[in-house]
Amino acid sequence: MSTTSTEEERTTTARGETILEVNDLKTYYEDGGLLGSNPVKAVDGVSFDIQRGETLGLVGESGCGKSTLGRTLMRLEEATAGEVKLNGTDITTLSGSDLKQFRKDVQMVFQDPDSSLNERMTVGEIVREPLDVHDWKTPSERRERVRELLETVGLQEQHYYRYPHQFSGGQRQRIGIARALALEPEFIILDEPVSALDVSVQAKILNLLEDLQNEFGLTYLFIAHDLAVVRHICDRVAVMYLGNMMEIGPADELFDEPANPYTHALLSSIPEPDPTVERDRITLRGTPPSPRDPPAGCPFSTRCPVKIRPAAYRDMDPDVWERIEIFREVLRERSRADPSLSDRVRKLLGRESHRAGMDEIIPELFGDLDVPSDVMTHVREAADYAENDDENAARTYLREEFGSVCDHERPEQLAVGDRGRLSLCHRHDAEYEEPATVFETLVR
Amino acid sequence: MSTTTETEIPLRQRVAENPQPALIWAAVGAVLIGVELGAILQVVGAVAGVVVNLLPGDPGASAVQSLQAAFDAVPTLVSRDVIPNQGYWNGTGYENTFLGLSPAVAWVIRVAFVYAYAFAVLAWAWNGYTRFRRHYRRVDWTPRDDVVNRFRGHSWGKFGLIIVITFVVMAVFAPALGPTTMERNILQPYDYEVTYWSEDTQSTETVLVGEANLGSGSQGAGDENVAPLTYDDYGRFHPFGTATNGKDLFTQVVFGARISLTIAVVAMGIAGLIGLGLAMITAYYKGLADLATVLVSDSVQALPVIMVLILMLVIFQNTWVRELYDGAVLIILIFSVVYWPFIWRSIRGPALQVSEEDWIDAAKSFGQTPTQVMRKHMAPYVFSYMLIYASLSLGGIIISVAGLSYLGLGITAPTPEWGRLIANGQQYVASPSWHISLVPGLLITLVVTGLNAFGDGIRDAIDPQADTGDEAAATGGGA
Repeated sequence: MSTTSTEEERTTTARGETILEVNDLKTYYEDGGLLGSNPVKAVDGVSFDIQRGETLGLVGESGCGKSTLGRTLMRLEEATAGEVKLNGTDITTLSGSDLKQFRKDVQMVFQDPDSSLNERMTVGEIVREPLDVHDWKTPSERRERVRELLETVGLQEQHYYRYPHQFSGGQRQRIGIARALALEPEFIILDEPVSALDVSVQAKILNLLEDLQNEFGLTYLFIAHDLAVVRHICDRVAVMYLGNMMEIGPADELFDEPANPYTHALLSSIPEPDPTVERDRITLRGTPPSPRDPPAGCPFSTRCPVKIRPAAYRDMDPDVWERIEIFREVLRERSRADPSLSDRVRKLLGRESHRAGMDEIIPELFGDLDVPSDVMTHVREAADYAENDDENAARTYLREEFGSVCDHERPEQLAVGDRGRLSLCHRHDAEYEEPATVFETLVR
Repeated sequence: MSTTTETEIPLRQRVAENPQPALIWAAVGAVLIGVELGAILQVVGAVAGVVVNLLPGDPGASAVQSLQAAFDAVPTLVSRDVIPNQGYWNGTGYENTFLGLSPAVAWVIRVAFVYAYAFAVLAWAWNGYTRFRRHYRRVDWTPRDDVVNRFRGHSWGKFGLIIVITFVVMAVFAPALGPTTMERNILQPYDYEVTYWSEDTQSTETVLVGEANLGSGSQGAGDENVAPLTYDDYGRFHPFGTATNGKDLFTQVVFGARISLTIAVVAMGIAGLIGLGLAMITAYYKGLADLATVLVSDSVQALPVIMVLILMLVIFQNTWVRELYDGAVLIILIFSVVYWPFIWRSIRGPALQVSEEDWIDAAKSFGQTPTQVMRKHMAPYVFSYMLIYASLSLGGIIISVAGLSYLGLGITAPTPEWGRLIANGQQYVASPSWHISLVPGLLITLVVTGLNAFGDGIRDAIDPQADTGDEAAATGGGA
């Protein structure tokens, strides 16, 4: 534990009342097809809360749904299910004047300072617009307020009549922050606010954000993919993968002792500045599954390095086990890809498909290993299904045979440690070994 | 330099603090407008007359008439009365012409004077803009400055602009430019007389304008032709010669410019408003709104434009709509309906593009209303594209109107229209009376080229990176 005293202080003062409470929130994107559509499950059942005055980091790789979550909290996307309570009021169903009032309380800072400011408006007009929309006091008081805001974020008053074109990226982001502050919100969503900036500027903007938080008692949801930045600024961190919240907990604890296997893998991807340090990186296999067709069990089950094995195969050679997992992934990819038109014609004509046949894939995967014969029987059975273009049957077959609790049951968020950390993994169940222990044996 | 208070001063106060540039500009403006006050008041009177005419029962018609008479009495500098050219030779010198000069020279001086005045007004307006930029604008730089500067460096675009201005001035000052008037020469030739020097009797004689016209038509044969820049037998100067029926071609051309320009600009304005409005709605709401508009616009675009025009004009042949402004109102309505899908199509892409910008989300996130988002955050980016497309399509409309009139549809006689002039002279193209078809034909070509050049100029100014080889946007469009 390397908790410094300042970090300790921050976490204790942050323990205020709950400002935002999210319960089983789902945001699906319908593709608008006329037939039964298969929506993209961008946010798929997320629950967490944020305390007044704290900074919650939201991390995850691209496409994991973190930006969609932020936009849903802003009511820029409509929630499919679940509730979002701001100070106890569910905001997913607000409309009319209630919605307008809510718009005052929650603001957003966008990722790209080039795109988030209307280039045809002066800086003054941009920062003033929220005040105009909400009829804030008199016009001259609004102008006064805009000038104050510009000073607050480190710009100058005479920038009022300049255009965004005349500013650097960091200054533009300051303008965006001034606009977000204009209506004195309690809660600000920062959607990768420094990702588009130079490293030297990043630090300045982050310090500004921290200063503003202290000065105005703001609550932040800090969306980012830069883990170092998150560690620097956040009190607590939430890790997202495939629309699910894999782990959430105090930043220091989560970074030092990740509980969830995905967090493990994510943290091991942080480059180590010291080249002499020996480190075992966990490289994840493959790519995340399609959010249209997430795994039935644990969202991470298709790539998890410490996935629970079924009892019958617990002592199997790890290499063979990995090949089986890869085989399953190949089948998943194949079932996702629609056969091309020429493939269909070939099939109708009874000719060989262009797609790699199972007789090529199986030797490639298992050829160099000593595979137990019972395992090989199952593999061939599945390959037969796939050969007949029935990948789904093959997948079901393999899942029944080699699947474990990770494939069959969606894990619950289980408590880890005593500081309110939650992690979405079956391994936290007393029945199984903890992920950390398994990682130890894995990397040795 | 800049203090807290300086940025808050309203424009009026900023002018008050440094009044000299504004005062000089305003004084010049007062002079320029003052000398034309009579003409401006006459336009007001004419508009009032039209409004009264449209109302049922013509309320206050007599009041408007007395008002018009009073306005007519206000002197105007740029007018036929100041530089008259309709005099006659009395055996020793010219009578009733400007400084006793020949009618041709007097006319040339008047035309030059009209254009000088028009360009002076434009120069004054431009000077006002630069004065504002230099002395009073709070912003030192706006993105529009770059657009203006790029256009100033675009020779082809400036050439187009000059042609367009020449054409617009021709339309606006049509009554002052003609060597004779519409009323006298074309509409009521038998109500007026012309005095001329008769070689036979060696004295001045008078004849009805209508009879003089009969004797000065251009019908191909050597003695029955009044070529451009010549006098006819009655001492009247014809800059573009005469038409087949002896009426002055130049007068008809300038008044034809008026009606062509009105139709093209108003039709394009309505189509542009519909197109821009729909583009905003479809880009903002997408989905069903977009799909419905695609269906409607595709259906309209599938119709052959010229055939729809002909059909509609035939259908409305004997109705009151056909009578309004000699048929121009009906043509404007048809063109608006037919052209908006083209405009909407051409700006739909930019509109969708701008609707994806983060500043739209930002505006939504603090509760900006959809109409304001469209107006403040989307329309300014799309408007320039619409302007390009509109300026390129104006030429197409002018050609289409001329085509319709050529076919005998379009604008009804006796209102002059370029297309009908071309049709009028068609059988004399290979004769000494070639000018009847050629002059209006050349003018159409020149104006359409000018409009295209102007459109190219705006496009390059607005979007320097745009692909200049874009055929779809660069064509004149229309029929």
